[in-house]
Amino acid sequence: MSSNAVLTFEEAAFTYPGGDGVSELDFAIAPGEAVALIGPNGAGKSTLLRGVLGLVPLTHGRMALGDAGRDASHADRGMVGFLPQTIEFDIDFPISLEQVVMQGRYRRLGLLRWPGRADREAVRHALETVGLGEFAAKRFGSLSGGQRQRGLLARALAADPRLLLLDEPFNGLDQPNRDALVATLRRLKADGVAVLVSTHDLELAREVCDLVLLVNGRQNAFGPVSDALTLANVQRCFEGVEVEIDEHTLVVPGHEGH
Amino acid sequence: MSLGDALFGAFALPFMGRALLVMLVLSVIAGVVGVLVNLRGLEFISDGLTHAVFPGLAVGLAVGGSAGVLPGAAIAALIGAVLLTWLMRSGVANDAGIAVVLTAAFSIGVIVVSKSDDYAGALEELLFGRVLTIPPSDVVPLVVVSAIALLLVALTAKQQVFRAFDPAGSRAAGDSAFGLDLALNVAVALVVVAGASTVGSLLVLALLVVPGAAARLVTGRLWLLFPVAGIFAALASWLGLATGFAASVGAGVDLPAGSTIVAVFVLAYAIVLLVRLARDAARRRAGAGTTPAGPSASGAPSTRAVGERAA
Repeated sequence: MSSNAVLTFEEAAFTYPGGDGVSELDFAIAPGEAVALIGPNGAGKSTLLRGVLGLVPLTHGRMALGDAGRDASHADRGMVGFLPQTIEFDIDFPISLEQVVMQGRYRRLGLLRWPGRADREAVRHALETVGLGEFAAKRFGSLSGGQRQRGLLARALAADPRLLLLDEPFNGLDQPNRDALVATLRRLKADGVAVLVSTHDLELAREVCDLVLLVNGRQNAFGPVSDALTLANVQRCFEGVEVEIDEHTLVVPGHEGH
Repeated sequence: MSLGDALFGAFALPFMGRALLVMLVLSVIAGVVGVLVNLRGLEFISDGLTHAVFPGLAVGLAVGGSAGVLPGAAIAALIGAVLLTWLMRSGVANDAGIAVVLTAAFSIGVIVVSKSDDYAGALEELLFGRVLTIPPSDVVPLVVVSAIALLLVALTAKQQVFRAFDPAGSRAAGDSAFGLDLALNVAVALVVVAGASTVGSLLVLALLVVPGAAARLVTGRLWLLFPVAGIFAALASWLGLATGFAASVGAGVDLPAGSTIVAVFVLAYAIVLLVRLARDAARRRAGAGTTPAGPSASGAPSTRAVGERAA
């Protein structure tokens, strides 16, 4: 599986200078696979995503991006798209939606080159993928919350990522936006994009994801949804937190949301 | 004296032509750099650098005379830019701590100047500039220093705007926050160096801050901000020099050139602000309920919004 994997971990650990982190990571994601990243708050889900982006130091083991068979370098991270949980920005900032989406191309462009026709085409395509084609010229701050979130997804897609990281993308989404995101993720998988998505929503894990990664400070379980997402595994992962598991939803009292 | 003499004829005089050339280069570049200062909200750092540069000016003057001013200021500015970038980033100092350090630097500069023979004259020149007495040999170094600042900003402009808009996203995309901050702070410092030895270290802040703020009032389109700020700066510099000349030569009122230029900058900003307020009011009357596309008329950094998920 690791031969053509997009992302591979071997005994890896990411640790902040303060000591917090996530360890014992040992899994791989292949093209077209989607992995649901599940765990209680503070379990290191965001740390793991930020580690892939190179924002938290790898302190143990190894991480490889792409099929290069070597450790992830700065350049390899150009293939990673990232949708943050929230962004904090000046609502009056003079920037249009398409200019925000273009930021997804900057990593490829580097310092010296300015966007060309291929970049504008990628931006237009990304905006159409998320259904915001007609809003391209609107000021980003004038969009609704759901539209901004889709715009940020378009920014992640504009990079033509082979691996897409999403941090709690379904929090607070209404049903139409949620359905649109599920459809977009399915289409990306069909195109061979690997997806790693942190979520509290088990229904979503079953709907979009093939694999589940349970973490609580370290990797608890990894495998196909039906094998890994068992009551025993989830209880172990959420130790100390009351867990109910019905057909669809994981209820973690006091741990919803942020 | 006719209007044409003040606006055009005056610049046939060598010292006026030199002043115009240096002011145009300096103020246009300061305006362009200032757009990023505005978008990043770095006015405080810019103010800090004007203070950090002052002891460099003073030591340069004491050691090398008039020719030592520019190198002295450049060294102080680079040290100040690296130090401020590092301090702001590492979080070891807060705004108050930095303010104390910079005030101390300023007072050291004054003490050094006080040892010179012509205390009052030297201090005045360093604080309030010497627009009309720029030595011909200083023109090329001033232009070079300004051009390096422009180059730093031009090379990093996309990434600087990205960082200004979404710092976390910029880092996630692999941009070095320290590298970008250092490039921008060095560019600001170089503008301060060039400005301090022309309009003076107290007034250069206006060149950095006013055109960018005015551009924010004129347009809500990102890449138009830079040319708008540059044109604003060029016009205000030209009119400022012409006004000073007309008042001094035509009306016999001796206005200090640097201060007159800065006053024209601020006056032009006030006019832009009034036009903007009038336009907003007209729009509100025309279509109550439709939101204006541009930023709020105050031009001040506004509340930061958190991207919410609810549609």
